[in-house]
Amino acid sequence: MAQEIYTTYADELVLLPNAWVRVWLALLVVILVCCPYFLSEYQLSILNEMCIAVIGAIGLNLLIGFTGQISLGHAAFLAIGAYSTALLTGQFQVPFLISLPLSGFIAAILGMIVGIPALRLKGLYLALGTLAFGFIVEYVLFHWDVTKGDLGMSVKHIQLGSYTIKTEAQYFYFLSVISALCVLCSKNIIRSKIGRSFKAIRDRDIAAEAMGIPLAKYKIMAFGLSSFYAGLAGCLFAHYQRWIVPGSFDISVSIAFIAMIVLGGMGTILGSVLGAVFITGIPHLIVYVTDSLKDTYPSLTGLIVDFKLGIFSLIVVLALLFEPYGLVGIYKRVKTYWVTWPFRY
Amino acid sequence: MKLLEILLNGLSMGAIYALLAVGFVLVFKSTGILNFAQGELAMIGAFLCFSFVMTYGMPYLGGFVLSLFLGALIGALIEVVFFTRMVGKPLFASIMVTVGLAGVISSIAGFIWGHDVYSIASPFTNKHLGIAGFTISSGVAYTILTSIVLLIALLIFFNRSLHGVAMRAAAEDPDTAGLMGINVNQTQMIAWAMGSSVAAVAGIFLAEQSFVRISMSHYGIQAMAAAILGGMDSVKGAIIGGAMLGIVEGLAANYLSGLAFQGFHFGDVKEVAAFAIMIIILMIRPRGIFGKEKVERV
Repeated sequence: MAQEIYTTYADELVLLPNAWVRVWLALLVVILVCCPYFLSEYQLSILNEMCIAVIGAIGLNLLIGFTGQISLGHAAFLAIGAYSTALLTGQFQVPFLISLPLSGFIAAILGMIVGIPALRLKGLYLALGTLAFGFIVEYVLFHWDVTKGDLGMSVKHIQLGSYTIKTEAQYFYFLSVISALCVLCSKNIIRSKIGRSFKAIRDRDIAAEAMGIPLAKYKIMAFGLSSFYAGLAGCLFAHYQRWIVPGSFDISVSIAFIAMIVLGGMGTILGSVLGAVFITGIPHLIVYVTDSLKDTYPSLTGLIVDFKLGIFSLIVVLALLFEPYGLVGIYKRVKTYWVTWPFRY
Repeated sequence: MKLLEILLNGLSMGAIYALLAVGFVLVFKSTGILNFAQGELAMIGAFLCFSFVMTYGMPYLGGFVLSLFLGALIGALIEVVFFTRMVGKPLFASIMVTVGLAGVISSIAGFIWGHDVYSIASPFTNKHLGIAGFTISSGVAYTILTSIVLLIALLIFFNRSLHGVAMRAAAEDPDTAGLMGINVNQTQMIAWAMGSSVAAVAGIFLAEQSFVRISMSHYGIQAMAAAILGGMDSVKGAIIGGAMLGIVEGLAANYLSGLAFQGFHFGDVKEVAAFAIMIIILMIRPRGIFGKEKVERV
C-alpha cells in the first residue's frame, strides 16, 4: 500500500495536498449544488439520509477508528441528541440554531460521563459496557414520561430565524453544508495534536502514555467528540424525520454505523464518508432491485425488511475477512496499481 | 411461599443463563474471542428442536440430542470458516465478526422459520410437581436438574480431563501449547463446538419456559452479564453468575415492576436488570468475582 511519506510538518498539515484534490472537490461541490435540479424528491431524500449518516459515521470513526475505543452504543448518543432537540425546540421553544449545538453538547457531556468509567475498561469490556449503556438508554426512553415512551415525540421543521426549511431540496442544501462543515472540523482535528494523540493511543496506549500523552484526557475527549457528532446527527435526524420513537435508535442502528466505518475504512475520514454513503444507499438499492423484480417474484418484497440487518452484518463480516482497510483500501490499491504501472510493488 | 416460588423460577432462568455464560467462557478461555452470536446459536438450537419435534414428529429426546449435535456442528463450522482466518487480527475485528454473524444468523433464521411465535410440545408441558407443599412446573424442575448435571460434567471436563487441560493450556499460551504437542487449532474448534452445543441446550430449555421465536436471541446478550459477573475466564464463575443473575432478575421483576418515580415507570425490569448489573460490575470489578486480573506486559 502506498503510504505518503511526509518530510516536513508543513506537508503533513496541508489540507488539500495537490491540484487534483482541489479539482475533484470543486467538481463534487458543483455536482452537489446542481443535484436538486435533476433529482426527484425520493432521490433527494436518500441524499439527505446520507448527509446525516456521514456526520454520525465520522463521530464513530473518531472513537473506534482513530482512538481504538470500541463502542457498541453509538445509537444511544444519537437518541440523546434527537430527544434533546425534541424537548428543547418543542417544550422550551429554543430556536433551532441554539438547540443544534446544545443537543450536541448534551450528548457530549453524557458521552464524557460514559467515558470516565470506560477509562478502566479496555477492548471487549468496553464493548460490553457501551452495549449495556445503549440498552439502558433505550429502556429509559421507553419508560420515562418526559419522552412519551413508544408514542414517540413530534419534532418541528428546522426554523432559521423566520425562514422555515420544508422541502427536500432546502433540507438537502442545509444538511450538506452542515455535514461538509463536520468533515472539515474532523479533518482539522485529525491533522492536529489531538488527532496524533488519538492515533498514538490506538496503536499502543501504554507507549502513548510513556511518551507523555495524558491517556485519561484524550480518551474522554474522544468520547466527548464522538458523542458530540452523534448528538448533531441525532438532532438533524429528528428534525428531518419529524417523528422520533425509541425504536429508531436500537442496537441495529449502532451496528449499521459500525458497518459504515468498517466498510469505508477504519481511521480515515474519507472512509467514513464513503461508508455512510454506501450503507445508506444499499437498502434503497435493494428496494429498487426488488421493485423491478416484483412482477416475476412477488414474494421478494416482504423479505427486504428482514434482510436489512442481515445484509449489513454480512458486509461487516466480509469486509473484515477480506478487505480490512475497507473501500479506502481498495481505492489506494487501485491507485497504486496505476501509478506504478507496469511495475507491481 | 411466594418468595420461594420467585427464587425457584429465578433459579431456572439462572440455569439457562449459566449454560449460555458457560458457552461464552468456553470460547473466550480457549480463543480469546467473545462470541456475540451465542444467543443466536441458542435460538437456532431451539428452532432445530422445534422442527424435529413438531414438524417431523420425532420424539422429544431424539430432537433434543440431534439439535445438540447440529449445534456443535454449526459452532465448529463457524470456527473453521471464519476464525481460522482471523488469527493475528486485532480484537475489534474478531468481536465485530461475531456481531456480524449474529445478524446474519438471525436473518437466515427469519428467512427459514419466519417471525411467528412457536412452542415445542414437550413431555413436561402443563405438568406440575408438588414438593413439600408447593407446586412448581415440572419444566422448571427439569431445567434446573439437567443444567446442574450438565454444568458439573463441564466443570469436571475442564478441570480433570486431558482435553480440558489442553484447552486451558492452549488458552494460556497458544505457541507454547503447540510446542508441547497440543493441536491448538483442533482444541479451539472443540471449544466452539462445545460452546454452541451448550447454547443449543440453553435455547431448548428457554423454549420450554417461554416460546420459540427470533427475538429469543436477546437472552444471549443478557447472559453476558452473567459471564461478566462471574468472571470471563472462570467456568465456576459463569455458573454462579448465571444463578445470581436469574434470581436478581426474578426479584427485580417482582418487586420493582409497576413502581413509578417522578414520572418514570419501572416496567419490564427483566429486560434491563442484566444490563444494569453489567454496568455496575464493569465499574466496580471488571474482572468479575472469580476472574483473574489480567496483567499486561509492555
